[in-house]
Amino acid sequence: MNVDISGVTRRFGRNLAVAGVDLETGPGVFGLLGPNGAGKTTLLRMMATVITPSAGTLRLLGRDPGSYGPRREIRCRLGYLPQNIGYYPGFTVAEFVEYFALLKEMPPARIPAAVAAAVERVDLGGKARAKLRTLSGGMLRRAGIAQAIVNDPELLLLDEPTAGLDPEQRVAFRALLRGLGERATVVVSTHLVEDVGAACTEVALMDAGKIVFHGTPAELTARGEGARAAGDAPLERGYGAVLAEARS
Amino acid sequence: MTPAVISLGPGRAPARRMASLAATGRLLRLELKRNVVPYVLPLLAAVFYFDTFRTADGFPPVWTVRASVIGDHMLFEFCAFAGGMAAWAGSRERRRKALDLVASTPRAVWARLSVTLAGTLGWLLLAFLAGVAAIYIPTALQATWGGPPLWPVFAGAAGVIVVTIIGFACGVFFPGRFTAPLVAIGLLVLYQAGFREALGVTASPGTDALLSPASAVPAVDAGVYHHVAPDVPITQVMFMGGIAVALLGVLALAAALRQRAPARDRISWRGWPARGDNWLLRTVAVVLVAAGVAASSTAYSLAGTAKLTATGWEIPALHDAARDRPVPFVPDCRSAPGGFQVCVHPAFSGYLGDVAAALDPVAAEIAGLPGAAVRAEQVASVGTWPHGYGPSHTAGNPPVLEYSGEEVGDLFGVFWGIPAGAGPDWRAGFQQGLLDPFLSEPPHSAAAARTGPAPLGAAQQAVEDALMAAAGSPPPLRIGQHGHSGGPSQAQITAAASRFASLPASARHAWLAAHLAALRAGTITAAQIP
Repeated sequence: MNVDISGVTRRFGRNLAVAGVDLETGPGVFGLLGPNGAGKTTLLRMMATVITPSAGTLRLLGRDPGSYGPRREIRCRLGYLPQNIGYYPGFTVAEFVEYFALLKEMPPARIPAAVAAAVERVDLGGKARAKLRTLSGGMLRRAGIAQAIVNDPELLLLDEPTAGLDPEQRVAFRALLRGLGERATVVVSTHLVEDVGAACTEVALMDAGKIVFHGTPAELTARGEGARAAGDAPLERGYGAVLAEARS
Repeated sequence: MTPAVISLGPGRAPARRMASLAATGRLLRLELKRNVVPYVLPLLAAVFYFDTFRTADGFPPVWTVRASVIGDHMLFEFCAFAGGMAAWAGSRERRRKALDLVASTPRAVWARLSVTLAGTLGWLLLAFLAGVAAIYIPTALQATWGGPPLWPVFAGAAGVIVVTIIGFACGVFFPGRFTAPLVAIGLLVLYQAGFREALGVTASPGTDALLSPASAVPAVDAGVYHHVAPDVPITQVMFMGGIAVALLGVLALAAALRQRAPARDRISWRGWPARGDNWLLRTVAVVLVAAGVAASSTAYSLAGTAKLTATGWEIPALHDAARDRPVPFVPDCRSAPGGFQVCVHPAFSGYLGDVAAALDPVAAEIAGLPGAAVRAEQVASVGTWPHGYGPSHTAGNPPVLEYSGEEVGDLFGVFWGIPAGAGPDWRAGFQQGLLDPFLSEPPHSAAAARTGPAPLGAAQQAVEDALMAAAGSPPPLRIGQHGHSGGPSQAQITAAASRFASLPASARHAWLAAHLAALRAGTITAAQIP
C-alpha cells in the first residue's frame, strides 16, 4: 500500500479537523470527496508531510514520515498541489517548475528534460517562457500541476486540481490523471463529482473529519439509487445520499 | 517504477554530493536571475551618485579621505536598501503563501533559505563593490601617492552583510508586506544612531561608537604621514561578523525547530536538545549562535580598551607597533624666482602649483627681512590631533613656514570641493598664515609656537592688509581682532593699509626693513605707517 493511514487525528487548538481516519490505497486514482470543512485539505496536508498528525499512524510509500530520513525519501517521491498554490510572480513557468524540481532533489542532468515534459503535459509548452504574473488562474493551476508531476512522483496529492480549468482542459487533465494513476497513487481532493466519476478508481467521502464512505465510484452511484437525495447526476445523488445518511 | 530522485545509497555519496552542489548552483542561478534587488539598483545608483560619489569627488584625491565615504555615506544608503530588499526576499515564502508547497519538498528549510539569502546578498555585495570601484578608480587616476585602503572596504562589506542578514531574518520571522519598509526605516534609524555616537554628538561615556562603521571625516592627511591602524576596522568586522554568524545560527535553529513542530509554520522548543531529526543542524546552529555571540562580545570588549593617540584610535590587543613608524616620503618642492621654496607631501602634489601661487607673491614682499620664511613646508596634521589643528607657524633658522594639509584644507576651500569662485578667500587665508607669524612677536616657547602667533595689533593688521593687497588678495577675515578699545577704528586701519599698499614695492620693503622690530613690538601706530 502506498498510503496506509490508521486512526489519524488532527486538531487545531480545540477544532478537530480530522477525526480518526483509516485509509489504505495503492496505485490508481483515489478521489477524496466532501463538503467544505470536511477535513480533506488537512488530510492531504498530512499526507504531504506538511503537518503531522495529532494522533494515529501514517505510512506513505512504505515509510514513516515521522522520521527525518524516511520523510526525505517520501518527499523525493512526492508531488503536491495545495489548494492555494503560492507562486513567485517573477518566475517563468519553466523556471517555476525547475525551481521545484531542484527542491525535490532531482538529478540536475535530468531536470531540463523533465521540466519540458511536465510543462508539455499540462499544455503550457507555448507559455514556458511567460512570467507567472501574466498567466490566467487556470494556467497558474496547470503550472502548479506541472511542478507536482515534474519528478514523476510515486504519490501525487492534488487539492482541487481542476478549479479554474476550462472544460477542455478538465477533460485533458482527467486523461492525464488516468495515465499517472497507472503507475502511481494519485489522491485527488475535489468538490466536482464528475472528475471523480471520470478519472478515479476509488473514492472516499469525508464529512466532519471522518470518512463516511470508501469504495468505487460505481458503489457510490449505487448508494444514490432509490434515495431521494438531490443531484443532477447519479454520482451526485450517491454523494448526497451518503452525506444525508452520515448526518442522520 | 524508477523514481526520478537522487539515489541515497551509501556507495554513491560523492556523486550525491556533486549532484547536490550542482542543484544548489542552479537554485542560486534562479535566485540571482529572479531576485528583487536588480529592480531597485537604478534607484540605489542614483542615490549613490548624488550623495556618496559627489561627496567623494569633492574630497582631495587622498586615498584615506576618499575611502571615508564608504562608512560615512555609502553604508547609510546601502543599509536601508539592503535591509529592505533582504526582508522582502526573506518573507517571500509566507508572503506568497508558498509555505505548504515548499514544505513538501525534501530540501531542508535552512538550505532553501540560504540560497535565497545568498542570491540577495550576492547582488547587494556586487552593487557595493561596484560602488567602491566607482570611488576608487577615479581616485587611482587622480592620486599622486599611496594606494587603496582595503579595511574600509572590508568593514563596509561586513556592514552590508550584517544588515542583509538582519533584514532577511526579520522577513523570515515577521513576514508581511510592511516588513521590508519597516526594516529599511529601522536600519536607517539604527545607522543614524551609530553615526551620532561616532561623531560624539551624544554624550556616550564609552567607546561603543567605534563599533559603528560610520565615522567622522578623517584629517585630510590621515594615512599620509602615518599608517592608519586597522585596529578599529578589525573590531568592527569582528563585531558585525559575529552578529551575522549568530543570526545565521538563529535562522538555522528556527528552521530545525520548525521542522520538529506539529505545524510546520510554528517553532517548537519541545525536546529541542534531543537527538533525532536535524540534530546535526541544531548542533551546528547552536555552535554558530555561540561563536557569533562570542565574536561580537569580544569585539565589544576590545572596543572598550581603545585609546585615543596622536594618530587615531588604537586597541592594544590588536595594535601592531611596527605600523607606528612615520611613512617615509620625499617632498615635492618648487622654488620661486625670488628663492622662496614651497614643498608639499607627494600625496598633495596636485596642489603644489596652487600653494606656490598663493605664497610666492607675499613671500617676495618680505624676502630677505629678518624672520621672513625662506621655505613653506607641509607637515602632518594628524600628529596634533585631537588637540586641534593649530595655525601655521614659522619655526627654525632660517625660518620655515610649516602648514598642515588639514589647515590648507580649511584655508584652501578647494580641497573640500568649494568652487573656484571662492579662490581669493582661501588664497588670502593662506597668505595670512605666512604673514601672521612674520608680523607678530616671535613666540618665546615651544608651547606658544603650537598655539600660533598672537592676534595682530592695528598697525600690524594694516601692514598685512597692504602686503596682501599688493599681492592681489582681499583683506583677510579676522575674527575678534577688530575694534580695539581705545585704538584706531577699522576705517583708520583700512586707510593706513591703502597708503602703504600704494607705495612702490621697494619702498614698502625698505620701510619694513627699518621698522620691523618696532612693528612687531607694537610701538608703531597705524597713523605712523607711510
